Amino acid sequence: MRGLHQLDRSSAVAGTAALGTLAIVPVIFPGNYLMGVLTVAAIYGIWAVSWDFMCGLTGRENFGHALFIGVGAYAAGYMNVQIGWGPWWSLPIGMLLSALFALLLGFPTLRLRGPYFALAMLSAAVIMQRLMLIFWEHTGGEEGIQDITPLIRNHLHYYWFVLVLLGVITFVLSWLARSRWGLILRAIRGDEATCLAAGIPITRYKIISLVISAALAALGGALYAHYQLQVSPQLFSIVTSITIITMVYVGGMGSIYGPVGGALLLTFLAEGLRDVGEWRLMVYSVLLIMIVFFLPNGFIAPLWQKLRATLRGR
Amino acid sequence: MEILIHGAVSSAIYAMLAVGFTLIFGVARVLNLAHGSFYALGAYGTYMATALLGWSLLPAALMAIVLVALLGVVIEKIFIRPLRHSQLGVLMITLSISLVIEQALFLIFGSEYRNVPAFIQSKVSIGGIDIAGQRLLVVAVAVLAIGALYLFIQWSRLGSAILAISQDAEAAKYMGIPSDRIFALVMAISAGLAALAGVLAGPFLSVQPTMHLLPIMKAFAIVIVGGLGSIPGSIVAAMMLGYAETIVAYTISTSWTEIVSVLATLLMLVFRPAGIFGKRAAF
Repeated sequence: MRGLHQLDRSSAVAGTAALGTLAIVPVIFPGNYLMGVLTVAAIYGIWAVSWDFMCGLTGRENFGHALFIGVGAYAAGYMNVQIGWGPWWSLPIGMLLSALFALLLGFPTLRLRGPYFALAMLSAAVIMQRLMLIFWEHTGGEEGIQDITPLIRNHLHYYWFVLVLLGVITFVLSWLARSRWGLILRAIRGDEATCLAAGIPITRYKIISLVISAALAALGGALYAHYQLQVSPQLFSIVTSITIITMVYVGGMGSIYGPVGGALLLTFLAEGLRDVGEWRLMVYSVLLIMIVFFLPNGFIAPLWQKLRATLRGR
Repeated sequence: MEILIHGAVSSAIYAMLAVGFTLIFGVARVLNLAHGSFYALGAYGTYMATALLGWSLLPAALMAIVLVALLGVVIEKIFIRPLRHSQLGVLMITLSISLVIEQALFLIFGSEYRNVPAFIQSKVSIGGIDIAGQRLLVVAVAVLAIGALYLFIQWSRLGSAILAISQDAEAAKYMGIPSDRIFALVMAISAGLAALAGVLAGPFLSVQPTMHLLPIMKAFAIVIVGGLGSIPGSIVAAMMLGYAETIVAYTISTSWTEIVSVLATLLMLVFRPAGIFGKRAAF
C-alpha cells in the first residue's frame, strides 16, 4: 500500500539530517540571497505539507489552499499595520481566523465529492481575492498592505525559526498520518460509503483535517507576510494554489515528507529559472502536466522508498 | 428597461458558456476547467486574424471558432481521454492546460487589453435607451445557437446518440454507439460554443490573458445552480444569474457582481446540491 509506511528510525534520521544540513547551509555560504531563497522554500514546505495532510490523505483535492494562506497573511498585515498590534499576535490569530474559515466552508463543501469540493474551494479563493480589491480602504487594494514589522530582525535566526516550525509540523503530521486518525483519512480516500457503513463520522474527520490544514497554511501565510514585510492580493490567486499542488504532486501525494522535498526542489528550480522570467509559470504548468501523466505517484517519495529498501537490503 | 436588456445580454453570454460546460459533463463526465480558455482563444483568435493578418471580421470569427473547436477535439483526444477514469486527474490536466494557454497568450500578446472589433458598430434605440447593436446581436445569436443545438440533440441521429450516452454510457456502448467519436463531437460543440461567446463578447469585455478565469467560475456557478448535466437547467440558471448580476450592478455597485455567482453556488450547495433541474446522481 502506497504511503502506509512506518515512521521508522531511518526516516527520522534522514529527516533530522536533512533539516540540520539546511540549517547550516547559510552559515557555510553566507549571503542574504541564498538565505532568502531558503526561507521562502521552508515556508512553501509548510504550505505543501499542510495541503498534503488534508488532501493527500483523503483524496479531496483543495484547489483553493491560497484562501487560507491569504487569510493568514492578511490577518498578519492588517493587525500589524492597521491596528498596530505586535507581530507575535499574527501567528495565533491568523491561524484561528483561518480555522474559522475552514469550518464555515467545510460544512457545505465537504459533503460534495472530489471535483465539486475542489471547484467550490477554487471559487471561494477567487472571491476572497475580489473582496480584497472591493474593500481596498482596509486591505490596500491591488497594492496590499506594506510596512509590516518583522517577527525576528536577524534573518538567520528567522530562517532557523521557520525551519524548526517546518520540522515540528512535518514530524507531527507524519505521526498523525500514521496514527488511527491517518488510517481513517486514508480509508475515506479509499471508499467513503464503506467508512460510513462502518459507523465512522466521515464528515467530522474531513472537517477537522481541513481545519488543521487551514490553520497551518495560515501559519505559513503569516510567516510569509512577516518575511516579505508586505502582502498583496496575488497571495489568494489560483497560481499560489497551483504552485503548492504541483509541489505536492512532485513530492508524492499522501506521503507528508515528500511534499516538503517537492517544495524545496521546486523553489530552487524556480530560482534557477529566474533568468527565463516570463516562462516560469509555463515551465511549471508543463511540469505539472508531465507529472500527472507519467509519474502519478510523484518523484521524491518513491525515490526515498527505493533508496531505503536498498539500504535495508544490504 | 435598461436592466431588462443588459440582463438579457449577460444571460446570453453565460448561457452559451454554461451549455457547453454542462454538455461535456453530462455526456463524458468531464469537468473541463479549460472551458474558459476556449472562450479566451475565441476572442484572441478573432483579434489576431483581424488586427494582425488584416482579415475581415466574419471569416476571422468563423476561423477562430472552427480552430478552437478542433483544438478542443485534440485536447480531448491527447490529454483528457487517457485520464477519464479519474475525475481529479481530469481536473488537474484541464487546469494545467488552461494555465499553459494563459501563459502562451501572455507570452505572445502581452498583458495589455486588446480590442476585438464589433460586428455592429451603431447603436440601437429601444424605448428611449441606446444599446450597442453588438449586445443585441449577442442575444440573437445565443438564442439561435442554443436553439439549433437543442433541435440537433432532440431530432438528429447523432443527437439521440449523445442523449443515449448521457443517460447510460455503458448501455449505449452495447448498442453499438461509438462513444469515443461522440465525445470528440461533443467536445467540438462545447469548445465552439465557448469560442462563439468569446468572439461575440470580445468587443465589450476586457480581452487579456487571464480572461478565462471569470467565465469558468460563472459557468461552474450556473451549472451547480441549474444542476450538473442539465441543459434546460443551465439555461434557466444562466438567466437567473445574468439578471441577478445586472440588478446588483444597477442597485449596489458593479464591483459586487462577482460575489453574486459564488454566493449562489455556496447557497445552492448547502440547500440543494443537485441543483434546480439536476438528478441526484452527481452526489
